[in-house]
Amino acid sequence: MTDSTTQSQAGLIDQVGLRWFFRLLSSSIGQKFVMGVTGLLLCGFLVAHLAGNLLLFAGAKPFNEYAHALHAQWELLAVAEAGLLLLFVAHVYLAVATSIGNNQARTGQYVMKQTKVPGRIIGANSWMFASGAVVLAFVILHLIDLRFGLRGDVKYLAESDPEAPFKNTVAVLNNPISRLVYFIGVVVLGAHLSHGFASAFQSIGLNHPKYMPLIKLIGKIFAVVIAVGFASIVVIVPGLKR
Amino acid sequence: MNHASSANLNLTLKIWRQAGPTAPGELKTYPLTGISPDMSFLEMLDILNEHLIAKGEEPVAFDHDCREGICGTCGVMINGQAHGPDSATTTCQLHMRRFRDGDTIVIEPWHAKAFPIVRDLVVDRSAFDRIIQSGGYVSVNTGNAPDANTTLVPHHVQQDAMRAAACIGCGACVASCKNASAMLFVSAKVSHLANLPQGQGERSKRVLRMVAAMDAEKFGNCTNTGECEAACPAEIKLTNIAQLNREYIKASLFSTE
Repeated sequence: MTDSTTQSQAGLIDQVGLRWFFRLLSSSIGQKFVMGVTGLLLCGFLVAHLAGNLLLFAGAKPFNEYAHALHAQWELLAVAEAGLLLLFVAHVYLAVATSIGNNQARTGQYVMKQTKVPGRIIGANSWMFASGAVVLAFVILHLIDLRFGLRGDVKYLAESDPEAPFKNTVAVLNNPISRLVYFIGVVVLGAHLSHGFASAFQSIGLNHPKYMPLIKLIGKIFAVVIAVGFASIVVIVPGLKR
Repeated sequence: MNHASSANLNLTLKIWRQAGPTAPGELKTYPLTGISPDMSFLEMLDILNEHLIAKGEEPVAFDHDCREGICGTCGVMINGQAHGPDSATTTCQLHMRRFRDGDTIVIEPWHAKAFPIVRDLVVDRSAFDRIIQSGGYVSVNTGNAPDANTTLVPHHVQQDAMRAAACIGCGACVASCKNASAMLFVSAKVSHLANLPQGQGERSKRVLRMVAAMDAEKFGNCTNTGECEAACPAEIKLTNIAQLNREYIKASLFSTE
């Protein structure tokens, strides 16, 4: 079979028989498939990240011990971070690429446009790109604050300091502007997930009359748990005593 | 039947007028009086055109054929809704009793890059034909009919195929989608044939080619907002899009195509 979209690519791709792979990645459905898979894997990271951070409520000692134990596995951590970066870059790149395609597909707006979806309010599904952009900005800020420790106004303890994980977290969150930005960041993340989680299953093709209602419910619950979980840290942790 | 609506309607129509594919378009206002509530929407446009012709003006070009909701030829945006306010109804099956005396009705053509405007409310939907030509068929060697019951199709499978086959290719899904995505149309065609034994021979080839054709026509991507499903006069469901995604991923990963 010849395929007009991939005919121009030749050479190495054909030798290793990966033409199908590039055809998949360049197709609309393949791109949404990758967005769905990367989105769900990033959801997995959120679970691990929230579980670890909730140790803040257990006090400084358990949280510090957890953080140091995690960072002692630096080889594994490096692999995990590289994987997360790859997932994130793929998800964001495809979001931009597909959104550009979507905008170009519609020439001219209607003078009048009304939904026919019964009872529809403009929901998270209309704002995935906007909410995703907010989450991206928040993640970059969060990495600057607490992964790389580059905030000029925060007095960081050295990473080797046994007290560093807890104290550095509290130092960042003690800034009221930081707290507000972090709060907005995690709430918008929740809104993004409230559509994204269930929609990912649809994009992957896993829509089944038996399971979809449950998947949609789990998606909403997951969004609330993630948003409330992280928001509780933002709101409560700065006031915690040691 | 609500006889309170039996009085004739006086309407203000705002209709998209565009002389040709590259000409600039704009909404023009036409008052129209004495419209019977028993008329169909297209009959109302016929009356308007009779008035326009009598006045020596250019009539409004709009697509229509069977006028019984099965050909998929008619289809315009009515007050911002594909095929108007009713669900599961084509423009030709919409009746004027759905409107009230004094209403203003905005009528626009489908807007999508893949559906260029030909004139006024008429758009060129041959992009759909090219998608069908790429794989929306089964190749069958004709001959004697096989014995009955040699090929069993369970009732629920046959029902799924039949419901997908109900797509009339009107383009309301593309018109109502904020991304001008044709996923609901392509998914209906792919699901229809993938669910039947006759479609198995070309199952993988079909979905790969039809999606490639869909992408080549520059339709947008699905963002799962469900506007297409709500606008579809043939009640094609979003589950077909999930099946299309599944068929495409399966064909990409596991078939030899």
